[in-house]
Amino acid sequence: MADAKDYIIGIDTGGTFTDVVVMSPSGEVWTAKASTTPDEFSRGVMDALTEAARVLDVDRTELLNQAVLFKHGSTVATNALITRTGVKVGFITTRGFEDTTEIMRAIGRVDGLSEEEIRHATWVTKPEPLVPRERVLGVRERIDYRGEVVVPLSREDVMDAIRKLVDEEGCEAIAVSLLHAWANARHEDDVRALAREADPSNKVFWSFGSELAQVAGEYARANTAIINSFLGPTVDRYLGGLQTKLEEGGLEGPFLIMQGNGGVAHRGHATPVSNLQSGPAGGAIASAYVAGLLGHPNAITADMGGTSFDVGLITEGYWRYAAEPIVERFRMLQPIIDIQSIGAGGGTIARVDEETGRLLVGPQSAGASPGPVCYDTGGEEVTVTDADLVLGIIDPDYFLGGRKSLNKEKAEKAVEEKIAKPLGLSNVEAAAGVYDIVNSKMSDLIRQQVVRTGHLPEEFVIYAFGGAGPVHSAGFSAELGINKIYIFPTSPVFSAFGVAAADVIHTRVMTCQYIFPTQPEGPNERLDTIENELNEIMTGEGFKADQVEFRRFFTMRYRRQTAGVEIPLPWDRMTDERLKGLQEMFETKYEELYGVGAGYTKAGMEISAIRVDAVGLVTKPELKPQPVEKGDGSQAVKGKRNVYFTRPERGFIETPVYDNALLKAGNEVAGPAILELPFTTIPVPPGAKVTVDQYLNLVMEIQG
Amino acid sequence: MEPTAVDPIKYEMYFHRLWAIGEEGRMTLQRVTASPIVAQGGECMSSFYDTEGVMVLACSGHLRFAAATSQAIKNMIEYFKESPGFYDGDQFFFNDPYVAGSHTYDMMVIKPIFYGGELIAWTATSTHTADTGGVLRGGALEIFHEGICISGLKIVEKGEFREDVFRTLVGMCRDPQYVGLDMKAMIAGNNVCADRYLGLVEKFGPEFVEAAGRRMIEDSEAKARAKLRSLPDGTWVSREYVTTLDRKSRKAVAQQLYCTMTKKGDELEFDLEGTSPQTDTDHNSTFPSTAAHITLALTNALFWDVPWSDGKMKPVTLKIPEGTILNCTFPAACGAAPRVGNVLVSTICECVSKMLYAAGRVDDVNASTTGNLAYAGGPGYFYGGHTRDGIRVAQGLYDIHGAGMGSAPLRDGVNTGGHMNIPSAGISDIERIEMQYPFLYFTRGHNPDGSGFGQYRGGLGSYRIYWIYGSQDCSADYKPYGGVAQGGYGLCGGYPTGKSVLRYMVDAGMELLDRVKQGEYPDGAGMRDGTWGNVVHPDGVPERVALPEGSLLIDYVAGGGGFGDPLERDPALVLRDFGRGWLTPKIGEEVYGVVLARDGRSVDEAATRSLRERIRAERKQLGKPPSGKTSALDPTQAGEYESVLRFHASLEIARRNGRHAIRCIQCGHLFCGAQENYKNYALRRILDLNDYMEDALPSGEPYIGEYHEYSCPGCQVQLQVDLFCPPMGGDPILWDTRIDV
Repeated sequence: MADAKDYIIGIDTGGTFTDVVVMSPSGEVWTAKASTTPDEFSRGVMDALTEAARVLDVDRTELLNQAVLFKHGSTVATNALITRTGVKVGFITTRGFEDTTEIMRAIGRVDGLSEEEIRHATWVTKPEPLVPRERVLGVRERIDYRGEVVVPLSREDVMDAIRKLVDEEGCEAIAVSLLHAWANARHEDDVRALAREADPSNKVFWSFGSELAQVAGEYARANTAIINSFLGPTVDRYLGGLQTKLEEGGLEGPFLIMQGNGGVAHRGHATPVSNLQSGPAGGAIASAYVAGLLGHPNAITADMGGTSFDVGLITEGYWRYAAEPIVERFRMLQPIIDIQSIGAGGGTIARVDEETGRLLVGPQSAGASPGPVCYDTGGEEVTVTDADLVLGIIDPDYFLGGRKSLNKEKAEKAVEEKIAKPLGLSNVEAAAGVYDIVNSKMSDLIRQQVVRTGHLPEEFVIYAFGGAGPVHSAGFSAELGINKIYIFPTSPVFSAFGVAAADVIHTRVMTCQYIFPTQPEGPNERLDTIENELNEIMTGEGFKADQVEFRRFFTMRYRRQTAGVEIPLPWDRMTDERLKGLQEMFETKYEELYGVGAGYTKAGMEISAIRVDAVGLVTKPELKPQPVEKGDGSQAVKGKRNVYFTRPERGFIETPVYDNALLKAGNEVAGPAILELPFTTIPVPPGAKVTVDQYLNLVMEIQG
Repeated sequence: MEPTAVDPIKYEMYFHRLWAIGEEGRMTLQRVTASPIVAQGGECMSSFYDTEGVMVLACSGHLRFAAATSQAIKNMIEYFKESPGFYDGDQFFFNDPYVAGSHTYDMMVIKPIFYGGELIAWTATSTHTADTGGVLRGGALEIFHEGICISGLKIVEKGEFREDVFRTLVGMCRDPQYVGLDMKAMIAGNNVCADRYLGLVEKFGPEFVEAAGRRMIEDSEAKARAKLRSLPDGTWVSREYVTTLDRKSRKAVAQQLYCTMTKKGDELEFDLEGTSPQTDTDHNSTFPSTAAHITLALTNALFWDVPWSDGKMKPVTLKIPEGTILNCTFPAACGAAPRVGNVLVSTICECVSKMLYAAGRVDDVNASTTGNLAYAGGPGYFYGGHTRDGIRVAQGLYDIHGAGMGSAPLRDGVNTGGHMNIPSAGISDIERIEMQYPFLYFTRGHNPDGSGFGQYRGGLGSYRIYWIYGSQDCSADYKPYGGVAQGGYGLCGGYPTGKSVLRYMVDAGMELLDRVKQGEYPDGAGMRDGTWGNVVHPDGVPERVALPEGSLLIDYVAGGGGFGDPLERDPALVLRDFGRGWLTPKIGEEVYGVVLARDGRSVDEAATRSLRERIRAERKQLGKPPSGKTSALDPTQAGEYESVLRFHASLEIARRNGRHAIRCIQCGHLFCGAQENYKNYALRRILDLNDYMEDALPSGEPYIGEYHEYSCPGCQVQLQVDLFCPPMGGDPILWDTRIDV
């Protein structure tokens, strides 16, 4: 039995598995998993805890009892949005603008779709709005962009609307988002007061746009409020039920909820909408944590699964937020970690175009069903996994740690008929072509993500995730000129690990307009307001003022531009001198991003938004390094097979296969080699090598 | 001809990489620009050309630009190769619509790419930047009034930014900062594209890059030809209208666009003979603009899955008569060319949609995609003046990027769906607009009855009511009210957009706010009937009109056309649209034949059945076949024909003893031989727009159009609704479909 006390528990409920990571203050880490139970997600959580207790050889009550922090990320919110199974919502907005969430700024027709889908212009339609037009009611009121009340709020309209939505329509939740409430929330506050009058027992779940985002843009803000209400009762019921179960099961420590912004918060402070995308957020935190540990300022997280390739960035130690993230085709105003996807995964289909003879790879996917040809489950189209198999990179008898056996013969036949013959290539050349093309496309996406931040790929290392990520990592990294790749044996539970390591974070973004030359008072007052508000929340989270770290960002732009550049502020408050410095920082950053000469000082500058993150640092585990042992890892060799490598030369090489579980910290395996892990395979090209570091991470160094 | 041989794997990597580079260039441009229409509306483009100026690949963005820039480069090569010559690091500014682009606001910066001292390619970026100096929008009589017009001027020379050229160009504009930022944005985009292109050359070698470029052009052509081969041969004809100002009478005058599309094998020809002569306003399109808009229409409707290179237009022949509004003679003004172009896109798509239907490509058929300007007259959306903060108002405000899309054979059109010219276009948040314009909005909503009616209705357009607030010098362009709808079409018996799309301005004054505080709220009906002040209709149709503070305006963006006979529409959908405020009960009854229960919460099914019967009976009773008879064949033999090809929701070509005829799918009525116009034997009713439209034109002038409604003599299903404008002449019975069998 482990003698550690003061456990930190992180649990991540994903689509298939519920993962748990338990960490002790001395740096020990235990992991366990159970099946996710979509009919009642909390059962899966309790199962996973039981499993963890078994691994630690303690009683589950004892495990919970000794937890100083219990952090939980779940797919409940995301799942309810994907399946459109939230509650019945009504929406109250400014009269005359009831169609805003149907008009969707017109861009709602293409939001969340790929370039290929968008090009089929006659075919693309909008998603069905979450609130049908019949349950959208307008009230008389109007505030202008300076925050001045132009038309006072009609109490009568509000009371009428509440009565209709609650009594006649039977709405369980209501969202309120009024025009320019980002500049002045008074009318929304008035609606809140009226709602208390009309609904004293608080039966209805209320959301207010100005509470969720102080940013201009009525469409995305309305969506945010509506989604919050749509998910609210479902998320509340789930978390409430789980908390009760946990407390009955022995939990006394705080119950913290993982948010899409990369931080945790107490249940009362985490809005339902902030629960969205908490799984990917967990992965990003784990990456940032590891990046800190390994001393990497910049890292690319590259996750290649069955159908998609997802790319995120850690720059200067932090993850990045998307400006108006799109979740399930709805544009929102929420700090959500920016992750971009393309259709490139193991199941991605390769085919020869009939008219031009082009070898097209993606974006269509065979998915899990019918799946790749080699799955032998009815798939007839060649996929990336089939190509990997033909090249000998993956072992037909040890796919997913041997949980699935693959039909190599069938894959070979399909590659030959569908690709090699039409192109006049050998079977292997055809498969290698698929491998190269998909790698090249992935490197294009990574590059796009990197350059839009003003960086260059060579300043980064790659963290490769997913079943197929490590398989292709040497390929796409070489294309980018990146020669260091990290693969983490713990990556299947990375999200849970990230949840366990998460700090408490609350983020506020506010639209503003300070036109230079400007005085420091304006921005300083704005910072005071935001930080006072955040301080109040952080006090509620149990932090003293000196335990809260503020990170401040100003978005700067030339006058009249619509996009801005976010500058991290090295100061807590502004002075005249610092305002000058800020302009210089902006122009430097701008030229970094867009090239020398792109700046245009004469157009004038302005501060267009202020963002503050309040971070409450929580106890984090210190991962314990393993003793390092030199060696070539030959003790782990379990066999040999012929593997096709595309670099430095193309061809098959008889390659030793290593069982990763038998490698020791400090071992250096020289390529050509194949490393097999239970969830993935790593081909190490000739000339490259893999080092097992002191945390048992695998570090592949390739030649540029 | 054998395609150029390239390694297929390297080629595919190259293809995606080149596209990614163009995207990187475009994203750079969009983030540097000052124009909301570029940053949010996506009116920009990055692209690559071979040494001769043939386009190899264009990236997502504004489709008009994808089709426009080649000619600019070819022209520069012809004129400037010797003097001043092209050197490494040069970039040229260009905006001459008589060479490439649509109007002087289509700006391009073009950069030759050098490798090893040799010019190996060109890259170009384009933006829509609505300020070139000159007279304000609407006032130009010839191109010389439309501000700077440059057919190539080095703005960067051998890598050195030419401050003298830059200052001179932006100095001629009203808003130098705005134009300056856009120029810098284009330069930045080109720098990214050129640098990265050279990286490709390093990686793949110059010979491969050259061959791959050639192959990309060949591949597009091959794809386009294969698509054409899969479609039936035949001839399709469409006729649409635009209106503009007649300078002499100071009244609206109509023009027609007339298109004959012939498809044979893998070739497609557009002959625009029959199109009206050019005007003395800026309502003209140069040949390059016309070609660009036809390319754009085909890219959306037909070649959406063909990579964007010049190859895709190789199978397409254009015949555009000179001296018409589609091929105006220098120095005609052409500022409104995109307006003419939008209607042209619609005219082209009408033919293409009918051809696609006959090929069974139901997913691609769309009734009126873009260009539906309806009765656009009154104050426009090109503003002047200053905001409350004393900032100059940006010229254009593009709510038109939220137009209703056309209906499809199996669904309604997308409401406020976007703009086909720019696949990823969007409109701005009102909160953002009010920060930049001196407006206070009272409404932005879906326009009731605001799309073409049909079994599947067009997507609804939007309307906005806004009040001029905090500006003493605001102005807008002004257009005469035309008496005939501009652009748009219905398919298979559905209607083009028509109703409730009249713009008004009323002098509501500053007291409006007090009235709103008291509980009143401005709406369209109240603006028409004088509740909110007098309708302002300036004498003599000025090119621009002042918008004094306190003016209240209502403005529309039209919806898409309808598909199929409205009497076939599911009554539940009529009820739903009524419940959402998107349809008036009057239209529900008159057009759809649907009667709602008195409380408006259910359909009165018995009354609906009998009303629909009555409308069909009226069609039978009042409709007359233009030829005087309902069939050219022996109708008793209808049953002996066997189906060959369905080319319409209700019509097919059928065969008996080797003879092809047109037959109704619903009831089997036999019209005539396949090489005749079925409309001659269909029941025709002519509906004068003056009887059809709800509201008179604010100018007091009459409508000058008619709907010609054709229905089947056997079952009275409505087959086609044509808009005809008698003063323009021509055969009223348009022979729109002639399939070669």
